Amino acid sequence: MDRAKNVGTTSQAAKRKRKVVSLDKKKARSGWWFILPFLIGFLTVYLPIIITSIKFSMLNTVASTGHFIGFDNYIEMLTTHQSYTQTLLSGIKQLVFDIPAIVVFSLFMAVLLNQKVLGRAVFRAILFVPVILGTGLIDELDNIGNTAIDTMKNASAASKGSTGTSASAIISNYDLARLFEGMKVGTDLVKYVTDLVNNIYGIINRSGVQLLIFLAGLQSISPAIYESCSIDGATTWETFWKVTFPMVSPMILVNTVYTVIDAFTSQTNSMMQLIMSEHTNSETMSAAMAWFYFLVVILIIAIVSAVVSAFVFYQRRD
Amino acid sequence: MNNTEQQQTKVLKESKNRIRVDFERTSRWTRFRIKYLNSNYAVMLLYRMFRFLLLLGVAFVILFPFYSKIFGSFMDREDFVDVTVKLIPKHWTIDQYKYIITENGFFKAMGNTFILSLVCALLQTITCCIIAYGFAKFKFKFNKLLFMLVIFTMVVPHIVLRYAMISEFNYFKPLYLEAFWNGIKNIAGEGGFIAGFKSAKGFNLLNSYWPMAILSVTGLAYKNGLYIFMLRQFFKGVPDELEESAYIDGSGVFRTFVTIIIPLSVPMMLTVFIFAFSWQWTDNFYTNMFFNNAGPKLIPSIVRVPKSLSTDASFAGKKNYDSAIRNTCSLLIILPLIILYLFFQKSLVQGIERSGITG
Repeated sequence: MDRAKNVGTTSQAAKRKRKVVSLDKKKARSGWWFILPFLIGFLTVYLPIIITSIKFSMLNTVASTGHFIGFDNYIEMLTTHQSYTQTLLSGIKQLVFDIPAIVVFSLFMAVLLNQKVLGRAVFRAILFVPVILGTGLIDELDNIGNTAIDTMKNASAASKGSTGTSASAIISNYDLARLFEGMKVGTDLVKYVTDLVNNIYGIINRSGVQLLIFLAGLQSISPAIYESCSIDGATTWETFWKVTFPMVSPMILVNTVYTVIDAFTSQTNSMMQLIMSEHTNSETMSAAMAWFYFLVVILIIAIVSAVVSAFVFYQRRD
Repeated sequence: MNNTEQQQTKVLKESKNRIRVDFERTSRWTRFRIKYLNSNYAVMLLYRMFRFLLLLGVAFVILFPFYSKIFGSFMDREDFVDVTVKLIPKHWTIDQYKYIITENGFFKAMGNTFILSLVCALLQTITCCIIAYGFAKFKFKFNKLLFMLVIFTMVVPHIVLRYAMISEFNYFKPLYLEAFWNGIKNIAGEGGFIAGFKSAKGFNLLNSYWPMAILSVTGLAYKNGLYIFMLRQFFKGVPDELEESAYIDGSGVFRTFVTIIIPLSVPMMLTVFIFAFSWQWTDNFYTNMFFNNAGPKLIPSIVRVPKSLSTDASFAGKKNYDSAIRNTCSLLIILPLIILYLFFQKSLVQGIERSGITG
């Protein structure tokens, strides 16, 4: 009985439902208009460039006159090239050490800058200076035997090995090593920490964008959560690990991926230097090197983001 | 009861606006002791000092190179062989600035780069905004897949594409229209469509502003993937109800975007603009690639030792002197950016903060 009565209404309901869906779809389809510039550009400019570049990597020596040799360039660079695999491995190793340092440092700095520090506005302005001024040309100029920068870079390295502290050193490596010796924590860790201290200039200058992203994340945490925490009697330490850290964990993912991309594609990277120097030698070999390198980067990004996203907490939003 | 107690308090002094009343209070010393002389306050004070010193140290590391660059730029030739000169020059001179500006074609390069950066930054901000809005608010098919392509353009190291990019813009074929036209014309001839398609010559766009403009309009220029990502996160944070109410009032998708979304996102767009402008300003990869000596002079061309300042190899401080001259060039290059940064620093940070970038 009921079923028979409902036949008419269900067909009407189905009609109405379909209409609603189609309106939604119509709206959704207008999204294509917005991304049209990118689509056209990607298909008619970027894709041909990528295809040409891949084609180059499979040619013999000179791009304009070479003939097709398949994957020979790739095989040659992986088996017989004198420094490719070495540079690649050392670059990856360096990165694995640098990622935690940059991410932790920028998170720490962002937390500090989010508190009410004396002269916060000034410190913020100074810490974002590398974002604006430390790129491209300036970055390159700073890296070609620049005396003003080298004193900064080598400030702590200058006293390496010597027992006394040199006048120009900020922190003596030796003092640091001696401090750790007493703790009995193993030489590898000591070396890691001293390397980080040596590299502090690079780390500070490379963590500008990450700092901005973390600061944005910290600002978006509702103060009400902190209030309820303090009413429940949580200490600052507990609040950090139970509230701040989970809330910024999506940003940790973003920043980790950004750090990998930034480190791998910066022109001062040793791998990039190798690719560029190979370019004058053999254009096609350099293209092959770059493409293999790119595959490795993608692989690393996939692994890193898979590992990090296992720990990411997403706040459920209504 | 309460009233009587209040009446007991003794009025010390009374004027039109103020009244001083004497009531029993713990002594000053006790209050001081309880407030300040405890372990909590000591720990807090220590922490504050540590925090401040740490920030001071980091600021020092960032600013010190600028400091030594600035002093180095005022040094005379003799100061570089004098071992007693560490930071502060003995012979102050503005020769370095003078000769770089007069002999390296400073103002011309500055003007050209300014036009290029301004146009590129404006185009990039607008296109990235449009593209990001499309990705953020419309659930069309392949949305996520296409967004992966945006990330892809960000991840590909540009050096990989160097040679291919030069050849692309050396024989640039707008939308392959000419190629298709030639192919159709040749469809009955020898080799058919493909031979005709390949015969298209294209334009040589090297040494002009066009390659940068084309890359900017299509959102493929330097770090545009990052801008699209940032703006997409920002638009995702804009509540859908805003647009829905506009749709109900009869506004179309594009009108809603222009009249409602754009005014909302001005701080974020300003942030992207500052990034785009300053990264384009100091860019040397694209400018070296697309402009060789024949093209308009741009900023990377002024970074060299001017003739009047060049020293022969016998000069002991040559390495340091040349390095100082290059630093002076870089100071002159970033001067406009510093001015821009000082003006917009606050809104830059605010724009980022409001974006609420989340993964």
